[in-house]
Amino acid sequence: MAVLNVSNIQRFSTGDGPGIRTTVFLKGCNLRCPWCHNPENISAKPETLVFAAAGKTVTYGKLMTPLEVADDVSEDADFYNAGGGGVTVSGGEPMLQYEGVAELAAILKERGISTLVDTAGCVPWRNFEVVLGSVNAFYYDIKAGSREKYASVTGGDFDLIVSNLKKLVACGANVTARIPFIPGVNTSDGELRLILSTLLEAGVKHADLIPFHRLGSAKYKAMGREYVFAKTSPPAAEEVARAGEMLGKYIETGIE
Amino acid sequence: MSNISELKSEILSFPKGVFCPEIFRARGLSESANTINANVRADGLYALFAMPEPHIYKNDLIAGSLRDVILEVPDDERGRAAAVFAKYPERTFSCNTDHYAADYFTAVEKGIPGMIRDIDASAEKHAGDAEATGFLKAMKRTLEGLLKRIENYAEKAESLKGAEGYDAEKLDFIAGNMRALLEGAPGTFAQGLQLVWMIHNCFVLEGRYAMALGRIDRYLYPLYLKDIANGTLTDERCEELVANTFAKICEFRYRGCDDVVNICIGGVDEEGVCSVNGLSYCVLRAVRDVNLPGPNLSARITPDCPDEFLDECLKVIGTGLGYPALMNDTVNMAALLRKGYELKDVRNYCMVGCIENFITGMQPPWSDGRFDPINYLEAILVGKTAEELDSIESMDAFMRIYEERLKEGVENYIEWMRRGQFVAEPENMTAPFLSCFCQCCIERGRDINMGGAKYPSAHGAALMGIGTVSDSLAAIERVVFEDRKIPLSTLAAAIKANYEGYGDIRETVLAAPKYGNNDAFVDKYAVWYTSTLSDMFDRYTTLDGGPVYTAQAANVSNIYAGHGLGATPDGRLAGRPLSDAASPTYGCDVKGVTSTLLSVSKPDYTRCACGSVVNQKFSPSAFKDGKREKLAQLIRVYFSRGGQEIQINSTSREVLQDARIHPENYQSLVVRVSGFSALYVTLADEVQEDILSRTQHEEV
Repeated sequence: MAVLNVSNIQRFSTGDGPGIRTTVFLKGCNLRCPWCHNPENISAKPETLVFAAAGKTVTYGKLMTPLEVADDVSEDADFYNAGGGGVTVSGGEPMLQYEGVAELAAILKERGISTLVDTAGCVPWRNFEVVLGSVNAFYYDIKAGSREKYASVTGGDFDLIVSNLKKLVACGANVTARIPFIPGVNTSDGELRLILSTLLEAGVKHADLIPFHRLGSAKYKAMGREYVFAKTSPPAAEEVARAGEMLGKYIETGIE
Repeated sequence: MSNISELKSEILSFPKGVFCPEIFRARGLSESANTINANVRADGLYALFAMPEPHIYKNDLIAGSLRDVILEVPDDERGRAAAVFAKYPERTFSCNTDHYAADYFTAVEKGIPGMIRDIDASAEKHAGDAEATGFLKAMKRTLEGLLKRIENYAEKAESLKGAEGYDAEKLDFIAGNMRALLEGAPGTFAQGLQLVWMIHNCFVLEGRYAMALGRIDRYLYPLYLKDIANGTLTDERCEELVANTFAKICEFRYRGCDDVVNICIGGVDEEGVCSVNGLSYCVLRAVRDVNLPGPNLSARITPDCPDEFLDECLKVIGTGLGYPALMNDTVNMAALLRKGYELKDVRNYCMVGCIENFITGMQPPWSDGRFDPINYLEAILVGKTAEELDSIESMDAFMRIYEERLKEGVENYIEWMRRGQFVAEPENMTAPFLSCFCQCCIERGRDINMGGAKYPSAHGAALMGIGTVSDSLAAIERVVFEDRKIPLSTLAAAIKANYEGYGDIRETVLAAPKYGNNDAFVDKYAVWYTSTLSDMFDRYTTLDGGPVYTAQAANVSNIYAGHGLGATPDGRLAGRPLSDAASPTYGCDVKGVTSTLLSVSKPDYTRCACGSVVNQKFSPSAFKDGKREKLAQLIRVYFSRGGQEIQINSTSREVLQDARIHPENYQSLVVRVSGFSALYVTLADEVQEDILSRTQHEEV
């Protein structure tokens, strides 16, 4: 049995998919997005965060078997069943731990609980093939619309994520695109259009716009790291609405 | 709403003078030609209702004010009145005087003139029974006082026409409604509401507190329905009239504090079917419009209540008001049925005070007290010698000792309760006006506290600290008897020293499982606590043979209960609050709200007939469109699993600001940050600022 490198299990997550959900955050990521709001999940090693002002110390990173994770999150089954909820596996990049994710999703599927994977998609296609049979839906991040831009802001391979996205949609997977709306990165009309054309070309039916927020900044402080986006203000609501409208003309668009 | 803010500013501009109803009452008492105590009292009440000069606000639509008895009176005159009044003392809370839900059903159906006819008929039936006819005469006298007060208001409204700032249309409306009430039963929704408010107002003049308005969406529903059907009432107007009424609950502040007037919406009808109706929504919105503490709204949530109703409740809660408290109707009714009430009466229950379940208008006023089970656990640890403690061989043996101590504690509590309830000369402490609004008192010609009420009095024992006790027992089981890490005598020594010099022991007990994380190891103690203590109290009755309920509601008593208590085996330090109400210890339920509710729904609350309270806090973002349905799902599941109550606070700005200055006091404040929840104190300054500004934005 595979082992999952779990950062944190968060219950009553209301922004990570439909209904009441539990989000399992996995540790380790192969991208380096400077605005990341879950910096504790980037490294695969355990990390201790010291929230000095609050006098709290929290350690992230614990090895658990998929069965252990499944048993823990199954406690909330009644809540999931009340309205299309379930389990979301996020990170970090959960698709790096695809074997464990596949086992987890398979156990949950047997128990009648659906699994959604929140991924940036920058992994070999083979990883997706392993989870496809048990995972019910994907949240798929598109952070930039061109090869150069994507590489420069995330360090990742744009061609790979586009190819994976196309294959996912083609094989009938339930895919929702997630566009982090990051000031100075992808909020210009030109950049959004590039993202949009990628989505349309891949055949994605629904996209969510996720406006930048600074909710992770305390974690950077607690890790003794500098947050490049600490001084960046969240985009104005009007700007988000305008972008949503623009996308909405071509693709069903939600704003988180 | 058209005039609610103007009315509120009229009400909240405080009058000069002090609350002195005794001035009028003493006059009636001293001028009484009667000799029987109840009849002299009735003369006092007649004077209290009939003599004061009515006060009508410029924005009143439904009238009846406390200002009538806020007077600037010389001290010596007040002193003389108080001396007269002192000869006719009222019962106190411990012997059933307030926290009562009147039978407004009968009052609205019959009107005061109809009730007087019933009293006359009963007197005829009881001819020859001097005690009954005498008391019926006293009851009638007080209702005549109420009618006189209503007439005074009619006259006042008529005389104010043309006065500066007054609106003739409003005054005509008030006078017309008052005049109709003099003639018979209320014929319109507004007249019904006016009658109920006048009666409530008289209870407050009498000096009573926490007098519930009960199931207003039931007893006023026939009139509401009739007016809506014939086109003389709209929902907007209804909401306006109700808000206009509820705003005056806040007049209680003239006496120095807010009243707690429980108002109950939802629940079931006579057939047991969900009774949510158009009026329920009007009442809900009216409480929102008034936006002040005082009208303490409760919603009875049934499994078959529409999602729309729960959603409207959440919308109002999301304004930051915290109302309504959400009650699991299935559990509450099962709990009351266990106490032997008839099904039809149980279906018509409501709440008094904070959450106390009450059989509407059929039993004497409420009484309760605080029972602190943790004290008896502490007594074992600090009272026994080291040898005695270490000779306890198992957790089972420890539990048997604890149960024995609790049994003694409950015996002492009952003795205290009965002492408080005992009245030497009940015939000299009657309540003729209150008795008019309790079923069977008129029929039997008897006082509410002397066998007049259909059912005997119920008493609530509020159990404090389920979290503290469960966590303490779990810690003892884990570290003393399971891991054998620490002898019980050493743990006792650590507690006596308030863990000073025992830091490592405190670390060990803090690491033991805590209630609120869906952990069976500790949750079993919460189940035991609820059932065992309810069993113990079930053996006893009140002085008049009624049931003793248990409650798991603290108000803020858990803080005071903690003041006098030393450190406890769960790691809690001396003087710190106990866990609140039925909630886990704040800060110990770390897994998330779903786990908290899974734990909290394990005890059998059909044993807690009084009721229980579970406080949960969410920031306003959890109440946004698209997110509220998730809260609703959370509540439905929690209730389906047997949770009894939940009150959800959408965190106020003041709290968030204070939490920034004093984070040490808010270690367990959970706020919805965006899609997730976080401990507020672990968020960075700028995030707290973001949330604060967002909250403010939402409040605009």
